[in-house]
Amino acid sequence: MGSISLNGINKSFGSTEVLKNINLDIKDGEFLILIGPSGCGKSTLMNLIAGLEDLNSGEIIIDGKNVSEESPKDRDIAMVFQSYALYPTMSVARNICFGLEMNKVPKDEQASILKRVSELLQIDHLLDRKPGQLSGGQRQRVAMGRALARSPKVFLFDEPLSNLDAKLRVEMRTEIKKLHKRIGTTIVYVTHDQIEAMTLADRIAVLKDGELQQIGTPYEIYNDPVSHFVADFMGSPGMNFIECIVKDQNLVIESGGQKYELIIPCTEALIKSNLDVVLLGIRPEMLTEIQPSAADNSFVQKIKFDVEVIEPMGADTVAIGQWNENEVMARLSPESGNSAGKGFELQVDTSKAILFDPNSGLRIR
Amino acid sequence: MSSLKLTKYNIGRTFIYSILIFFAFIYLAPLYVMFTTSLKDIEEIRSGNLMALPIDPTFYAWKKAWSSACTGSDCRGLAPYFWNSVRIVFPAVIISTIVGAFNGYSLAKWKFKGSEFLFGALLFGCFIPFQVILLPMAKLLGMLGLANTVTGLVLVHVIYGVAFTTLFFRNYYVGIPTELVRAAKLDGAGFFAIFRHIFIPLSTPIFVVTIIWQFTQIWNDFLFGVVYSGSGTQPITVALNNLVNTSVGGKEYNVDMAAAIIAALPTLAVYVIAGKYFVRGLTAGAVKG
Repeated sequence: MGSISLNGINKSFGSTEVLKNINLDIKDGEFLILIGPSGCGKSTLMNLIAGLEDLNSGEIIIDGKNVSEESPKDRDIAMVFQSYALYPTMSVARNICFGLEMNKVPKDEQASILKRVSELLQIDHLLDRKPGQLSGGQRQRVAMGRALARSPKVFLFDEPLSNLDAKLRVEMRTEIKKLHKRIGTTIVYVTHDQIEAMTLADRIAVLKDGELQQIGTPYEIYNDPVSHFVADFMGSPGMNFIECIVKDQNLVIESGGQKYELIIPCTEALIKSNLDVVLLGIRPEMLTEIQPSAADNSFVQKIKFDVEVIEPMGADTVAIGQWNENEVMARLSPESGNSAGKGFELQVDTSKAILFDPNSGLRIR
Repeated sequence: MSSLKLTKYNIGRTFIYSILIFFAFIYLAPLYVMFTTSLKDIEEIRSGNLMALPIDPTFYAWKKAWSSACTGSDCRGLAPYFWNSVRIVFPAVIISTIVGAFNGYSLAKWKFKGSEFLFGALLFGCFIPFQVILLPMAKLLGMLGLANTVTGLVLVHVIYGVAFTTLFFRNYYVGIPTELVRAAKLDGAGFFAIFRHIFIPLSTPIFVVTIIWQFTQIWNDFLFGVVYSGSGTQPITVALNNLVNTSVGGKEYNVDMAAAIIAALPTLAVYVIAGKYFVRGLTAGAVKG
């Protein structure tokens, strides 16, 4: 149905290389998220798949057919734009049917498609309105309806939720996920919001400066990042990074005025790397208040932690302090976190800690 | 306290209004003189006050200006020349507006190599004075066999007007989000379908602006009219000039005034009918999607 292969894609605007040798296979029915900071080339990659920009080199294969030279309309792709791009002078119904009209679908068939799509998206009461009379969330639905109407092989979503307010964004996120479950069509979705990426994706592709950093499931990207960049990009609050001196396969940290040696899981790689100083990466949820249940875990240690700032977030509280003069965030329960201060007893679980080469930013493993 | 405020407010308002009325009066005085003079007979004009209302209003001068005043040796009034102008203005306005709309659409949304240069060159056309192109254009019209014809004048006005109409449409269309074009391309629409279904329905204000502009420019044109027309194809501006300069016996100011108003009436009418769109169109452009 709608598999996509990107083989050796290069794209530059003038002398600026926007995409460098991108290779990516997207399976039929997959929900793939392209994520990266602004200017990383993710939107350009999407426009290339849609055929709205021309390739410099490489090929795009959709459903086994090389479409690199084909015009957008012959690629059987529908796209939802960040600005929705609804036709302002047309009614909602005509917006949804415009693609069908252009492809000469018979009128009665158009009507039945319109009925099906508008009921699916619950916009059947809005069909006579103009886009200007709709709220942001309704426009979003109409834009999706327009994409759905043509039953394409592939859906492209270009930051579709970024113009919505926070609450609506969460709602629409769930709707998109449900929609994908129901129709099962391949979706390529561009975002810079890592929560969207984590919640929606079957697989995530992380881009930086036009290069593919890592492709993997949300679990892989979150727990097993290939580089400092990927680790830093995913997660909120983000991963802690601490420069540590290596001593007898352990890492030396200074916290709460005392020195500790942290036991870490990947000692073999550490020895092989022959580094004296490494970057320790540890997620905030691995730094908690003392939990009796974790007592027999060999990677768990208790250390003193001088909490400088606390940020209560409701469900939990983020406590911020320092290790080796690097800022460190711990994720505490509100009961113990909201009163945390100097000399707080912190439980550190290093079983999922990862190490990076401080010079290259790459994983040590 | 409040009454004091009210007084201050009133004084300010009175001051503003009196100034506005004063300038409006100065601005409208010539029109008033033209209109009243056109309703007087020649005896009253000679003896009376310029600003006075007509004692015994008569439409004699209007009738004469329209149907029997002499322009040179031809004494059929302005009527035939009025229709000449109509036959020049309508095709010229329609063609130059349509060409400008297509040009503007292409230059704004279908950029190609050299399109910016082409636009710059067209823009340059707006600043070329009429006088510069008189001779080459005369030569061209001669070669095409269109010298002294209405068609020739239409061609001249279309060529000269396309620079302006293109500029208007291009700048208007630049403000329409390119994502609309992209969405329509993915929906399977091509160059003409996108123009017809998406751009034309958004273009009412800029069509009105362009039509008013072109209508006024072409209707009021004198130089091209006097240079490229033959004796039977002169537009009304040229005929008006000839009428005023033809003196059989004494100068008939009332007929001159009536003729001048007749010549100006269509452009006035266009402003009255579509003027509000003109202001709106000049400030519009942003389309909220």
